[in-house]
Amino acid sequence: MRQYIRYFRWIFIVTGTLAVIYAGLNLLHGTKSFPDRANEECLTGQRVFDYGDVLSEAEEEKLANLIAKREKQTGCDIVLVTLNESLKEYAREKEPRVPYEEFVRVYAEDFYDSNAFGYDRPIGDGVLLVDNWYRESDGRVYTWLTAVGRADEKYTAARIDHLLDNVYRYVEKDPYRAYKTYIDCFYHDMSGGGVFSFELPYWLPLAAAALSMVIFVIVHWSYKKGKKTVVPTAYVNGSPQMYRREDVFINKIVTKRHIERSSGGSGGSGGGGGGSHGGHHGGGGHSR
Amino acid sequence: MLFRCKNCGGNAVYSPERGKMYCPHCDGIDSGEIEGAGKKAECVNCGAPLEIKEYNSTCKCEYCGSYIILDERVEGEYEPHLVLPFQIGMKRAVELLKEEFKSRVFTPGTFLAESTLEEMKGMYVPFWLYDYKADINYIGKGTKVRVWTGGDTEYTETSYYRVGRDMGIDFRKVPVDASIEMPDDVMDLMEPFDYHALKGFQAEYMSGFYGEIYNEGADSLEERAKRKAENDADILLKETLNGYTSLMPEHKDIRLNRKEANYALLPVWRYLYKYQGKDYPFYVNGQTGKIIGSTPVSKKKVLAYGGTVFAAVWAALSFLIGIMEIL
Repeated sequence: MRQYIRYFRWIFIVTGTLAVIYAGLNLLHGTKSFPDRANEECLTGQRVFDYGDVLSEAEEEKLANLIAKREKQTGCDIVLVTLNESLKEYAREKEPRVPYEEFVRVYAEDFYDSNAFGYDRPIGDGVLLVDNWYRESDGRVYTWLTAVGRADEKYTAARIDHLLDNVYRYVEKDPYRAYKTYIDCFYHDMSGGGVFSFELPYWLPLAAAALSMVIFVIVHWSYKKGKKTVVPTAYVNGSPQMYRREDVFINKIVTKRHIERSSGGSGGSGGGGGGSHGGHHGGGGHSR
Repeated sequence: MLFRCKNCGGNAVYSPERGKMYCPHCDGIDSGEIEGAGKKAECVNCGAPLEIKEYNSTCKCEYCGSYIILDERVEGEYEPHLVLPFQIGMKRAVELLKEEFKSRVFTPGTFLAESTLEEMKGMYVPFWLYDYKADINYIGKGTKVRVWTGGDTEYTETSYYRVGRDMGIDFRKVPVDASIEMPDDVMDLMEPFDYHALKGFQAEYMSGFYGEIYNEGADSLEERAKRKAENDADILLKETLNGYTSLMPEHKDIRLNRKEANYALLPVWRYLYKYQGKDYPFYVNGQTGKIIGSTPVSKKKVLAYGGTVFAAVWAALSFLIGIMEIL
């Protein structure tokens, strides 16, 4: 046992240190809480609007409770709207040239603004997810995430994609789980998410660990007879004599290559927003 | 011949610890006197017949335990030019082995306790030591590549060089064992020996040890020595060719001219352990103490440790990712 501990002492120390740091950081975050909600002009205390009727009442209540907790931890309003109706007329009335994928955006921003959501002030910090289950005439179902204030600052296009991907992973089979993921993912992103703007695949540490184990076992499966310890100069008397050393420059060729600057863009999601009522909306959408 | 203690008449042997002749019977130092035996194949001490194998130059009398050096096998064409006397005695070799076994984590804990030591022999292994003058000629084309960017353009500059080297290397005493019984790979791993301690041959160094004459001549074993010298020369040549991004050799010639080949006896301890029905031979360099030989591996232990590696890496990476996500 003593030999075992001695053998792994460095690995244990490193792992232990990481565990302590991780626990410490979590503890620090767990205690972080925002001051009470300052927005008194908000028209509703409701956060879950299941107009599309995809959730049971119990599920709605569970989500509302979770939102209440997460709002305090993130200092942001968290709103969920499900729909099951065409937004074409509604959106085109407001913005005549709006494309299909942004009907939900118009609705989301309008809903946010008209209810005056926002944790710190009306149309302030917060996030709203609209999931419209209605298949628009182009045959697709659209979802939009709108972010305002601090949430907007945090939510880059990549992060929105990531959140919506997570929601879409479950939404068809288990809407409750999908929307719960939305709330948790938002909390996760707001309380950290500094180094990675995307999540590493969950199997990566597992695969790395398995690979380390396989290499370890192969290396130690049998003992080698011994190591070669002879240096190349072991049998050289004095040092090698250099009679002629020639490094003659002949010519040189210079080639040029034009560097293509990649222009970034994310397919499937659109950003932007209007400042109709003073608050800037950031956001992005997905369709299925 | 036999080295007989002039004090007590016992068999005096060479003591690596003392660096002198020693009589284990009366503790006499430097008390050995040569007693020749001519070409008789019988023990000088007790007259019992000796079982002499084809290449033995010494043997131990099975009846009285005396170490007999066979006169005609250390004389004339079989007289070694050089000998490297043992510096590590039997006790020290055993200590070194025990330390080595303990340091090998995956050797079963029962190996030392349950294995039986079948044989321990101090042996003077015959070696040929070759001296070479190596002439190296190299011609090639080298490139150096430099890359930089200016604005939207990446520039790559490739400079071409003619590279030439003429080198001479003086190789001394490249060793090759001349014993069929000794595995070549083990003898190669046994290197290096410190040649400063080489001595002119004296039979007294052999008393108390086993020995062999060279099994093969210097010419027939030379290929191995040449390979070693060529490998070393090639590495030393490459050391002079650094700084280039790529090298295309056009001509490379390493020519070895043999200057001399010396017949030498180098000291090796051979320990044979038997564990769970299998033999585990170990070789200890009788001068430096370097150990060559593989111990059994407890597969269970390797798997258990592997499991720990798996768990620890998994945990450490998960924590690390967790930390980076929070920060």
